[in-house]
Amino acid sequence: MKLDPILVEIFFHKVTAIAEEMAITLQRTARTTYVKEAGDFGTALATPEGRFFAYPKVMGVSGFLDSNVGPALSRIDHLEPGDVILTNHPFESEGLATHMPDLHLIRPIFHEGRIVAHAWDFIHSADIGGGVPSSISPRFSDLYQEGFQIPPVKLVKAGVMNEDVIRLYTANCRTPEVNLGDIKAMLAALQVGEKRVHGLIAQHGLQTFLDAQDDLAEVAASKALAVQKQLPDGTYAFWDLLDDDFNSKVPVRVRCELTAKDGRVHLDFSGTDPQVLAAYNIPTGGQRHPWLTLKLMHFIYSHDKTVPLNHGLFNNITVTAPVGTVVNPEPGAAVGVRSATAIRLNEALVGAMSIARPGLMPAPSGGIMIPSVLVEQDARTGARHVMVLQSLVGGTGARLGADGVDGRDSSLANQRNTPIEKTEEEAEATIVEYALRQDSGGAGRWRGGTGVVFSVRIARYGSAVLGRGMERFVFRPWGMAGGRPAEKARVVVNLGTPKERELGKLDIFYPDPGDVVTIMTPGGGGYGDPLDRPEDDVLRDVEVGYVSREAARRDYGVIITGSGLDRAATDALRTSMRALRGPPPDFDFGPERDAWEQVFDDASMLRINALFMRLGSNVRPQRRRELFERVIPDLPKVGVVPLHEVIGDIDAARRRLSAEIEALAAHVEAMDVAG
Amino acid sequence: MSRSKYRIGIDVGGTFTDFVLADMGGRGLRFHKEPSVPGDPSAAVESGIAAMLATHAIAPGDIELIVHGTTIGLNAIIQRRGARMALVVSKGNRDLLEIARLRLPSSYDFTEPREVPLVPRDLVFEIDARMRSDGSILKPLDLEEVAGLAQRLAAAKVEAVAIVLLNAYRDASLEAALGAALRQRLPGVLVTESGLIWPEVREYERGLVAGLNAYIHPLMTRYFDRLKARVDGLGVTAPVYITANNGGTLSLETARARPIDTVLSGPASGVVASTRLGNATGKTRLITFDMGGTSADIAVCQTGAPEFTTATFVGDFPLIMPVVNVGAIGAGGGSVVWVDAQGLLKIGPLSAGADPGPVCYGRGGKEPTLTDCYVTLGIIDPTTFLGGRMVLDTKAARVALEAVADRIGLAGENRAIAAAESALRVASAKMGTEITKLLATAGVDPRQFSLVAYGGAGPTHGNLLAEEAQLTSVTIPTAPGTFCALGAILADVRRDYVRTVRRLIGPNAGARNGWDAVSDAIAALEAEARAWIATEGEIVGETEVAVSFNLRYLGQAYELEVFLPRGPRDGIDDTTVCDLFHIEHERLYGFRESKVPLQTATVRVGVIGKVPAVALPEVPPSLPEPFTHRSVWHKGQPVNTAVYARRDIGAGARIAGPAIVEQLDTTTFILPGWRADADRLGALSITREVAP
Repeated sequence: MKLDPILVEIFFHKVTAIAEEMAITLQRTARTTYVKEAGDFGTALATPEGRFFAYPKVMGVSGFLDSNVGPALSRIDHLEPGDVILTNHPFESEGLATHMPDLHLIRPIFHEGRIVAHAWDFIHSADIGGGVPSSISPRFSDLYQEGFQIPPVKLVKAGVMNEDVIRLYTANCRTPEVNLGDIKAMLAALQVGEKRVHGLIAQHGLQTFLDAQDDLAEVAASKALAVQKQLPDGTYAFWDLLDDDFNSKVPVRVRCELTAKDGRVHLDFSGTDPQVLAAYNIPTGGQRHPWLTLKLMHFIYSHDKTVPLNHGLFNNITVTAPVGTVVNPEPGAAVGVRSATAIRLNEALVGAMSIARPGLMPAPSGGIMIPSVLVEQDARTGARHVMVLQSLVGGTGARLGADGVDGRDSSLANQRNTPIEKTEEEAEATIVEYALRQDSGGAGRWRGGTGVVFSVRIARYGSAVLGRGMERFVFRPWGMAGGRPAEKARVVVNLGTPKERELGKLDIFYPDPGDVVTIMTPGGGGYGDPLDRPEDDVLRDVEVGYVSREAARRDYGVIITGSGLDRAATDALRTSMRALRGPPPDFDFGPERDAWEQVFDDASMLRINALFMRLGSNVRPQRRRELFERVIPDLPKVGVVPLHEVIGDIDAARRRLSAEIEALAAHVEAMDVAG
Repeated sequence: MSRSKYRIGIDVGGTFTDFVLADMGGRGLRFHKEPSVPGDPSAAVESGIAAMLATHAIAPGDIELIVHGTTIGLNAIIQRRGARMALVVSKGNRDLLEIARLRLPSSYDFTEPREVPLVPRDLVFEIDARMRSDGSILKPLDLEEVAGLAQRLAAAKVEAVAIVLLNAYRDASLEAALGAALRQRLPGVLVTESGLIWPEVREYERGLVAGLNAYIHPLMTRYFDRLKARVDGLGVTAPVYITANNGGTLSLETARARPIDTVLSGPASGVVASTRLGNATGKTRLITFDMGGTSADIAVCQTGAPEFTTATFVGDFPLIMPVVNVGAIGAGGGSVVWVDAQGLLKIGPLSAGADPGPVCYGRGGKEPTLTDCYVTLGIIDPTTFLGGRMVLDTKAARVALEAVADRIGLAGENRAIAAAESALRVASAKMGTEITKLLATAGVDPRQFSLVAYGGAGPTHGNLLAEEAQLTSVTIPTAPGTFCALGAILADVRRDYVRTVRRLIGPNAGARNGWDAVSDAIAALEAEARAWIATEGEIVGETEVAVSFNLRYLGQAYELEVFLPRGPRDGIDDTTVCDLFHIEHERLYGFRESKVPLQTATVRVGVIGKVPAVALPEVPPSLPEPFTHRSVWHKGQPVNTAVYARRDIGAGARIAGPAIVEQLDTTTFILPGWRADADRLGALSITREVAP
């Protein structure tokens, strides 16, 4: 370290406070709900090269710590004091912006003519144009449908607002007033950052300020490396699947190969499925990126809470993310719902870490975020009223030593819910239930958190219920170290009545007045053998209602009667269950994924993807769909019918797959010869 | 000479119970500290009052008022020692407390647990009864179901019940009917209805007001009964008042019915005392800094009055009632100084507390604390600490700090000194950043604010903090160690009321203008408030009401609170309210939307019953001489420092730093380059001798 340890500690507090003061300023004066209520914004100070050395601990989005403002700045020829750069461009910023409603501003901070830091902030703005209000839909197949693209430009040039940019921008979003208010708030926050940095330099001197940037990163790197050394040397592969690619029922597989060596970690995403013609692609620029390293950050921070939040935390992590895959799409790909893929990717990363050393990470959570929305129509005027019903998430996964959290999940976005009373103030509809979902958490020595049940009774004609981000309808959150997988998600209309109907995953649904629409979210995966769960813990779960008596018997081998726990019968049942079952698997994916992978095993998938990658990115989706649907003819029925039932005869499917691969290979070879 | 009447203010702390006796005949204030009795805090109250009566030869009948601040409710919530209680909710809403507001405490750390729900899930009971959002009944009570519920509650052997039915904020009659039925069937069980105790929209937050009230209700009732019996036993006939979260006080009867109103009163009293002191000396822009053993509390006051927030926490739980806006910053005299694996010097959050306490207490504390740093540097005299009640072990403190010094690479004979100074610098930097953030939240500039430092360690660290945070002045009250007890007898009686009224108002609302409904709601609240204050006892003099609104532009995602000027509201209409909103909006956001109607959300009425003021006594002029000099380490050098006794300092005294001022319960440190001037009340004002 260049500075004495006392100064480093003092700088840690001071620069963190600057980032937090910027966040306070931004949140106090911003105007959209995303910022005010959900906290979907960020602030930081970056090194002259563009990596964050100061980041708030409690305010805004935690996930963007590993961002890099350098590439966006490199697009600008000449930076001068008073400039502010604006961009929302996922590709021109090389993954600083990861979808276009996110507006990013960067203000280079000069001292005596040289750049000594950058102030950065971003907000998720209310709208950036494109095909739907609020600009996000999985159905978009390219970036142009997702709204107004802003490559890095000078919003402010030497202190003077570039009114031409403002005019172009406001003409291209549906809520220009609100957006402009947000931009003002962002500019104010950057100014606070610059002023405080100047104050810091005045108090401590420039060289100390620059040295502190390096020292803080060094401290973070050293603490992170100590945690990373818990990963034994070796290479560990794991993958997880998105239910489908939106345009068909073909799943999207994200594959992660983690190599650990002396604590240094390399993540290789080769073999991940090709980019899709839906908004599920993650723009990373093919470099180390927040969406690729999120779970490593959680791992490091959870194992050492004193690590300063800065780029140094990632110093000993490298990645390979091949271009043309969903984790590094070619420019022009749609990216709006990249978070859905990012969740699966990070669960694959958790799996790889858990092979390396079981117990380091929790089992996966419910793994979804559904901002469910209700549209009501005024019968006379026809006016449409759009409101958030609820932010629905599942429970968190269990981990070595602790049950998962029921009905909540902070792992991707740690948002607040909407009070029932606030929803009912706006809506005619009635919320009839918002409760934990019994038996939805994966069974285990430590139980996965339960999901939730959310039911709304529709009041008006012409109402619509929307829910993007629906996942885990096909594949379950898996169990770990002998733990069982959780329940899948469901959407049902008129549950428990003669008119009950399973809807499966929905993008938009038009119910009738009086209908009750019920959304059930998945629980988190279980950890450890459920037969090892102390019977008194199971009894308590039954008493408070997280687990039913039937599930206690079926999953845990614990017999609870009207008079309480039957210990003798429980012992006998557990003994016989153990004998019948044998040792539990390290990872339990449930029957759906087991059946799928008996057909589409890792080697076959790698082969298929290698072949597809030799086709043009716009050609692949149709060819992929045809291949999978020829192997599994009933695939379009999946969702309402479980996947393993859709697959049917595994051997027959395997034979069809072999034939398809050979045909594809022949085609590609022929194409190469011709080309 | 006619016989004086007296008032007693009492503040219960972890180590000591503080007393302030005000002679209403104008003969000043008297202070007393009594060791606290954690098992029964009222025992220390009794012995302290008895001691003061004896010391000052006062007849019990001459006490006219006792004002008492207690943290029993707060401690019960934090330590989860409240009642076995049940929660009754509308069908479908059983997991109100389990799901809460969805957020988890950390986005980074998956090991950080969520809060333990206030009521376990098997003591949450559903009933198929609820309101609609328009205030009509969607599902009425079914008497058979109520009878069944009462049986289940009886079987569960609960002491208290909170009722939270959906939309009860619009009309509490359904909850009230259920509450009446349960009280009748379950004698002795204390019932709290959410729509009666705090009728504000948002079922989780309102439910917590009811739940927390029920949780501490039995405990607080027993405590207040015991307290009253002890006071009566002394022959004192004066009424007992209890300090409240909003900086006011409440009669014992009101506090007994609504104990939730008292849980955050401790820090609020210090802020009340600070603003009174500030007003008396012409300082209205204050940052209060109450530094004790385990933490420090700070609050910003911009206009000479305590400021309120409706977004605070009690333990793990959010509280939406208006409380004096006090923030905790994690450093007190007992905060532990340690070194992490990378060799960085860290302060807290662990605290040695009062037991074992700092190393220098010699009670088994092994890790050095900030107090050990003050002692090692010579700021605190080890022989006169707490008036000499405890002799401090300087050598042990020094040895502990040497171990710290070794780990951060400091060497030499004086490495403990260097470590101590470093620790204080880190602590000041940390606290300074908290102040900066608090001021940023309020949107104001630190340079215009004066720090009021009190509590056991506030005067010791106040000047160090002011230097670091670039504040211009520090005020040290005459009795910093009992300042919260003083605040208790300076407070007026106050209670707040709320209604949720969602209406359009203002010139742009046209035919949809609902100001009449809003205005009726205020009138109804005011009538309720005035009826209540009329029963709060003879001590209440003149009364006034404070009205505020939460409003937004129609369609906007956030609300702002605006306050009506105090006094008669003749001539105040919705245009006035809209104008206030536009001005506040323009201040915060730089623009207004003059064509959009405004929508009201929450209306609050605070009723204030003035209590005849206690005059802060003036001190006679005197120019003090130091009674000794000692060496205090500052910036690596031993500095010969004059030491004064606080009792020698009269009005007009001026002391140049470096200097130490000692008094029974604290030590004030004045840095080189600063000076202290005593005002007519004896308060020290420390300012920079030279601009930085």
